[in-house]
Amino acid sequence: MSWETVIGLEIHAQLSTKSKLFSGGSTGFGAEPNTHVDLIDMGLPGVLPVANKEAFLKAIRFGLATNAVINQTSTFDRKNYFYPDLPKGYQITQMALPIVGEGSIKIEVDGVEKIINITRAHLEEDAGKSIHDLFEGETGVDLNRAGTPLLEIVSEPEISNAKEAVAYFKAIRQLVTFLDICDGNMAQGSMRCDVNVSIKKEGEEKLGTRAEIKNINSFKFIERAINHEVERQIRIIESGGSVVQETRLYDSVKNETRSMRSKEEANDYRYFPCPDLLPVVITDEELNNIRSNLPELPEQKEKRYVTDNSLDIAEAKIIASSKTMANMFEEACLKTDDSKLVANWLVGDVSALLNKDGIDIDESKLTPNNFAKMVERISDDTISGKIAKSVLEEVWDSGNDVDEIIQNKGLVQIQDESLLEEIGQKIIDANPKQVEAFKNGKDRLFGFFVGQVMKETQGKASPKSVNEILRKLLS
Amino acid sequence: MDKKTVANIAYLSRLKLNSDNEEKITSDLENIIKFVDQLDDVNVENIAPLTSPLEKTAKTRSDEVTAKNRKDVFLERAPKSNEDYFLVPRVVE
Amino acid sequence: MSIQYKTIAELRSMLDSKAISSKEIVEETYKLIDENNDLNAFITLNKEAAIAKSIEIENSPVKSALHGIPIAQKDLFCTKNLRTTCGSNILSNFIPPYSATVIENLENAGCISVGKTNMDEFAMGSSNETSFFGGVRNPWGQNLVPGGSSGGSASAVAAGLVPAATGTDTGGSIRQPASLCGITGLKPTYGRISRWGMIAFASSLDQAGPMARTAEDCAIMLNEMCSHDAKDTTSLSEDVPNFTKDLDSSIKGLKIGIVKEFDMSQLDTDVVSVFEESKKHYESLGAEFIEVSLPNISLSVPAYYVVAPAECSSNLSRFDGVKFGHRSKDPINLEELYIKTRSEGFGDEVKRRILIGSYVLSAGFYDAYYKKAQQVRRLIKNDFDSAFKKVDVIMSPTTRGAAFETGSKGSDPIQMYLEDLFTIPANLAGLPAMSLPNGMVNNKPIGLQLIGNFLDEKKILQVAHSFQKSTDWHLKTPKGTKLS
Repeated sequence: MSWETVIGLEIHAQLSTKSKLFSGGSTGFGAEPNTHVDLIDMGLPGVLPVANKEAFLKAIRFGLATNAVINQTSTFDRKNYFYPDLPKGYQITQMALPIVGEGSIKIEVDGVEKIINITRAHLEEDAGKSIHDLFEGETGVDLNRAGTPLLEIVSEPEISNAKEAVAYFKAIRQLVTFLDICDGNMAQGSMRCDVNVSIKKEGEEKLGTRAEIKNINSFKFIERAINHEVERQIRIIESGGSVVQETRLYDSVKNETRSMRSKEEANDYRYFPCPDLLPVVITDEELNNIRSNLPELPEQKEKRYVTDNSLDIAEAKIIASSKTMANMFEEACLKTDDSKLVANWLVGDVSALLNKDGIDIDESKLTPNNFAKMVERISDDTISGKIAKSVLEEVWDSGNDVDEIIQNKGLVQIQDESLLEEIGQKIIDANPKQVEAFKNGKDRLFGFFVGQVMKETQGKASPKSVNEILRKLLS
Repeated sequence: MDKKTVANIAYLSRLKLNSDNEEKITSDLENIIKFVDQLDDVNVENIAPLTSPLEKTAKTRSDEVTAKNRKDVFLERAPKSNEDYFLVPRVVE
Repeated sequence: MSIQYKTIAELRSMLDSKAISSKEIVEETYKLIDENNDLNAFITLNKEAAIAKSIEIENSPVKSALHGIPIAQKDLFCTKNLRTTCGSNILSNFIPPYSATVIENLENAGCISVGKTNMDEFAMGSSNETSFFGGVRNPWGQNLVPGGSSGGSASAVAAGLVPAATGTDTGGSIRQPASLCGITGLKPTYGRISRWGMIAFASSLDQAGPMARTAEDCAIMLNEMCSHDAKDTTSLSEDVPNFTKDLDSSIKGLKIGIVKEFDMSQLDTDVVSVFEESKKHYESLGAEFIEVSLPNISLSVPAYYVVAPAECSSNLSRFDGVKFGHRSKDPINLEELYIKTRSEGFGDEVKRRILIGSYVLSAGFYDAYYKKAQQVRRLIKNDFDSAFKKVDVIMSPTTRGAAFETGSKGSDPIQMYLEDLFTIPANLAGLPAMSLPNGMVNNKPIGLQLIGNFLDEKKILQVAHSFQKSTDWHLKTPKGTKLS
């Protein structure tokens, strides 16, 4: 029996506004518990929400970038359920008229492109955080996150396997970071997703019963959770059982999904229009303004890197794959005319270090600014390319400032010609045999002298100057 | 409106009816629903629901942080809290 | 000097002529409250702070007509650092960290909040019998209810303890008790007064308003209560007019609508004759009566009893024992915490409405009930829109009869719901409406309702004021007619 997998993703992207969706509470991450909580976030009796316009503008950017329908009139609904970190006993969300309607995004798996349709993207408020393991017999509630604006991006069930799901999530993450509407930081929970998985017999029209796996926050876990869930469903069906429609939790430690009974007991959310919030209308002018100020997206960048910076398409793709990498490239290109050199560093050494550590560029300690500084020091001859390699490694490990490293380790290239002449003369004097052989036509020995000078200067000599001086001394 | 329905909506509402009021409230609910069933016969085809008497659009706010830290004010009003958190009986997921 | 039964306008001139000080008024007020303790009109008094403020403002420039005047606040408005219970056990110890915009507006105008008035629990009731703090007595009779839900405010004003009080009106909660207590009360256009800090019952229907002895006093109150508030996006940004200006305008040629579909045969004959008297009086003042048709008006009560419970079921979810308010003792787990807290915290009427609300919103019933009711609501609003093309105001009795005895409505909630038959339509359509005393039935006062067009509070105030200038129903007190 051959099975087809049908996957849909609901991605929650935390919008990078300063204040919350309905209050003036701060969205800053990592604050002391319950210190970023406004009267409204507390759900105190008598308080009322006021929508943050910026959240709409950010959501619209996403809509425009995915060629989606923008609902210039959108409304809010209440989703009713009880949970300790949901202060009002309902979540304000957009059920009936979301700000962003149908759109689509292109993904690529093993060189094959596929369009995934997006059903909708709507605004909603995040809940607080429940801490279950800090206190004996009790759960602690921190409402700092309560009310943070989320964009929930709902895909059509058109994803066929775990790899595609990861590629889709990566494409969305790439997009929201390029659009500057979400920081994409998965470790801090800025992006997380629920995955709907079902299986059906190959070729069959009707979708199988789906299970929803809640709250996955890494690429690795998306892939594992889906693979595990598909296996589980196949096992159930092949042994004559049937899949139950339910919410499941992925346990990354045990690498398994398990049923979340607590979420199942009451799933009648009794949605209805929120009477405290009137419809939000976006004018044509506002919409056009967002459209004309839309930042450059990855595909446009790729094209520009090829035409303006003479990169080849493979290099351009790698560099445009992440906002941070593209920023590095663009910032560094401001410091040198040699964009090919910059590309070589990114595609070569930087990518090699990323692969070695198995991390994403955003997780590394290298910042665009520091990288640009390194390139600048190469092009103004402060350091040689070879020294630069060791500087990069140092930055990679410590995150320290490039100039500081060069200063502290005394890596500044020796430019002093008389000093280089002195060293060159010393090498010549110490190696009469080689001098003689060279003068007798053994040209290859020139490299020997260069190497000796480099050794003597611990690589700090400018290779160009060393060449010139040795030619002169040996002539 | 049967007992099972009442039990379900009571659970959704996190309310429990006791032996004193269960029968009375159930029959009240039945009567109220019968009463509002008058709406059944009205023709509302093509009539948009009126969710607010103000047929206006929302005024929004600009993205500014205006709240200050009121942790102590909030936590001291809580039925149970420690120096940082609101506390409830341990939730098992 | 007794200040009992004095109006705001009267107290104002006494203060201005230095015949009395604000401190004396406030002290006298607390004496009156104390003497009339059996009314149970107040849940919490604010004596120390009120007296302190009366002294403090004595020497400051007069900010408004309310400067130095004692006002009672319905216990549904949050008052910073002063207990706010909403008549419920679940908030019986709740001290808000902030004040409602209405409270701030009034207090900034110099008024002195003397205490928080009793009310039906979460404003759900028409007799004040659902309050966790016990029923309120109507000063007009030993066992009479004051109406509800703003029964404490109505009773306090009717007994002459304070010249005015705040109320809120979701389906008649200002007008019905005003009618039953023989005072004047006004529910403004939805959005006129900010809802920030008003504990929500049904958000799309709730509106605060003044309760006082006269239309003039209501206008004085309204001048200070209304504001556009950025914290409530359903508060109107339209300019707030000066409601006391032009109050004396003639109503000659005014077109008053009488609703064809209001079935007078269901009313006490005495109520009908009082109503007919008032019509004659208005005719003598130069008004003209025109019959208007509101074909869907009979659906108001059923539509209301879908919409209001639906909104309330959601609004009251925040009372869960987690962050504030009552929590049941030693719950063994979270479910028990929720269920016990809420079951102990809410009374039966509140429970009934939450359950109805959950039911009409639940899967499979939403379209048949909630959506349908909101569609019907639009039909009702459309009816009013066409009626107001023909008339300036619409007039009806406020209530089906005068104040009834405690417990007399029996145990059928629908009988109680029908109390608001005449008042609910204005809430559904968001229109301003008021009640003013227009006669007595069996020695008990009853009221006349005036419904105005959207934002036309001034018109109904003028119409009410012209009546009060030429009649003395509003001067009647439980102790006899007051000399004006």
